[in-house]
Amino acid sequence: MSQSISVENLRAWYGDHLTLKGITMELEANRATAIIGPSGCGKSTFIRCLNRLHETIPHGRVSGSIKLGDEDLYRMDPVDVRRVVGMVFQKANPFPTMSIFENVALGLRIGGVRSKAEIIERVEKSLRMAALWDEVKDRLREPATALSGGQQQRLCIARALAIEPEVLLMDEPTSALDPGSTLRVEELVQALKSSYTIVIVTHNMQQAARVADKTAFFLNGELIEYADTAIIFTKPSDKRTEDYVTGRFG
Amino acid sequence: MTIRSQMRKWKSNLGWGVAWFGTALVLFGLFHLLWTVLSKGITSFRWDMLTTVTHGVAGGLQNAILGTFELILISTVIAAPLGILGGVYVSEFAHTKVASVIRFLTEVLSGVPSIVIGYFGYLLMVLNWGWGFSALAGGIALTIIMLPYILRTTESSLQQVPLAQREGAWALGMTRFQAISRVVWRPAAGGIATGVLMAVAIGMGETAPLLYTAGWSSLNPTWHLTGHQVGYLTYVVWTYIEQPYPEAHALAYSAAFLLLVIILVIHLVVRILVKRATVAAK
Ligand SMILES: Nc1ncnc2c1ncn2[C@@H]1O[C@H](COP(=O)(O)OP(=O)(O)OP(=O)(O)O)[C@@H](O)[C@H]1O
Ligand SMILES: [Mg+2]
Repeated sequence: MSQSISVENLRAWYGDHLTLKGITMELEANRATAIIGPSGCGKSTFIRCLNRLHETIPHGRVSGSIKLGDEDLYRMDPVDVRRVVGMVFQKANPFPTMSIFENVALGLRIGGVRSKAEIIERVEKSLRMAALWDEVKDRLREPATALSGGQQQRLCIARALAIEPEVLLMDEPTSALDPGSTLRVEELVQALKSSYTIVIVTHNMQQAARVADKTAFFLNGELIEYADTAIIFTKPSDKRTEDYVTGRFG
Repeated sequence: MTIRSQMRKWKSNLGWGVAWFGTALVLFGLFHLLWTVLSKGITSFRWDMLTTVTHGVAGGLQNAILGTFELILISTVIAAPLGILGGVYVSEFAHTKVASVIRFLTEVLSGVPSIVIGYFGYLLMVLNWGWGFSALAGGIALTIIMLPYILRTTESSLQQVPLAQREGAWALGMTRFQAISRVVWRPAAGGIATGVLMAVAIGMGETAPLLYTAGWSSLNPTWHLTGHQVGYLTYVVWTYIEQPYPEAHALAYSAAFLLLVIILVIHLVVRILVKRATVAAK
C-alpha cells in the first residue's frame, strides 16, 4: 500500500537563507531510507518538506517538486498530505493533557472515525505495532505524561501509525532515548518497513547501518551521495562521505 | 584597603537598610489597610445586610451585592468570549503586523484611566444612545476595562504552549483550527480561566467607570438592562465613607469587607487553577 516519493530539485529557504540547495532523490516504497550528515546540514528541513511542515514556519519557502506516487505533493491540501505522510519528532511530543488512549485516538476522531468499537480496536492495533501495548494496556486512561521518555516516543509512533499513513518520517527518533528503548524503536522500524515508506534521520551510523536499506549523506544543504546502505558504509564513492562515516569530521 | 572594604561594607549595609525600609513601608501600608477593612468590616457587618436593601444611609447591602453581580455578569458575558476569541486570533491566526497593532491597541486601552472610560460611556451610552444610568451602560464600561486584560492573558497562555504541540497536531493532519480546538487550548485553559477570573476581580473593584454609567439605586436590580439605575458595592464604599453618620460608615466598611472576601476567594480559586495547570503541564 505504501508509495514512493520522488524529490526533484528541492530547494528550501528560511527567509533569505537557502538551506536546501536542490535535492533530487527517489525514496523507495517499502524501504527504510536513512538521512545522515553533520548538524545543520538540512536533514530536518528536508523531511519537514516531505509533510509540508516547513512552510508553516514564518518565511519558510520551498521550490522544486515532490511527488507522492504520481501525485504532486505541493498541489495537494497540506492537511491531506499529512494524513498520508506521518511524522515522529526528535523530542517525544505526546499531548500532555490527554490520556494515553486519547493521544492515539485523536487522529482517528479527526479523520472522521465515529464508531467507538473501531476506535478501540485501532488504538490497540497501533499500540501493538509500536510495541507499547503490553506496557500500557492496563493504564490507558492515565495521562500520557506518566510514561517514561522511551514509552512516550513509542506512543508518538503509535499516534502516527493510527491514522494509517503510507509514509513515516522519523527525525532522530531515538536521540533522547536509552539503549534499550532505542533498540525497541529500531526493531519497530525493521518490522514496519515492509508496509511503509520510512525516512529516518539519524546521527548514529550504527543505527543507519542496522535499519536502513538505503542511506543518503547530506552536507551543507546538498545531497552528496545516495546509495545502498552497505555501499555508503563500506565503499562510498565520494571522499566527503568517507570522511564523515569514518568519523573524520562531523 | 581596609578603608575601602569598610566603605564597601557600609554601602552594602546602607543598601540593605533602604531596601528593608522600603519593604517594611509597603507591608505596613498593606497590613494597615487590611487590618482597618477587616476589623471595622467584621465589627460593623451584620448578616441581615445580605437580605435588606439600603435605606438612606442605613439598612443593608442586598441591592449593592445583587447589582455588583448583575454588572459583573453582563461584563463577563461580553468580555470573556470577545477577549478569548481575540486572544486566540492574535496568538494563532493574525499576521504579525495585525497582531502587533491589536496588541498595541489593547495596551493603550488598558492604560486609559478608568474614569475616562466612565465618562466616555456616559457621553456615548447614557446620553447619546439614551440608555440612561443603567446596568447595560455600566456593564459595557466594565467590559472595556476587562477586555484587554482577558485578551492578553489568553494570548500569552496560548503562546506558552510549545510549538512542538502544534506541530504534533498538524502532523496528524489537523487544520490550524482543529489543532487549537482539540489540542492547544487544553494546556492553556488554566491560564485563560485565571485571566478571566482576575478580570472579574478587577471589575469588582472598579468604581470610576460605574459612577458615570450605572448610577446608584437603593432598590434591588430588576433585570431591566437600560433606563434603570443599579447599585454596587464600591459605590457604597466610595460615597458612604464620607458621610458624617456611623450607620453610613458601617455600611461602607461592610461593603469593603465583602468585596475583600469575594476577591480573596477569587484569588484562591485562581491559585488552585494555576497549580492544576502547572501540574498538568509537567
Ligand atoms: N526555524 C528556523 N529558522 C531559521 N533557520 C533555521 C530554522 N531551522 C533551521 N534553520 C537553519 O537551517 C539549517 C538546517 O537546519 P536543520 O534543522 O535542517 O539541520 P539538521 O541537519 O536537522 O541539523 P541537526 O542534526 O542539528 O538536527 C541550519 O543552518 C539552521 O540554522
Ligand atoms: Mg535536525
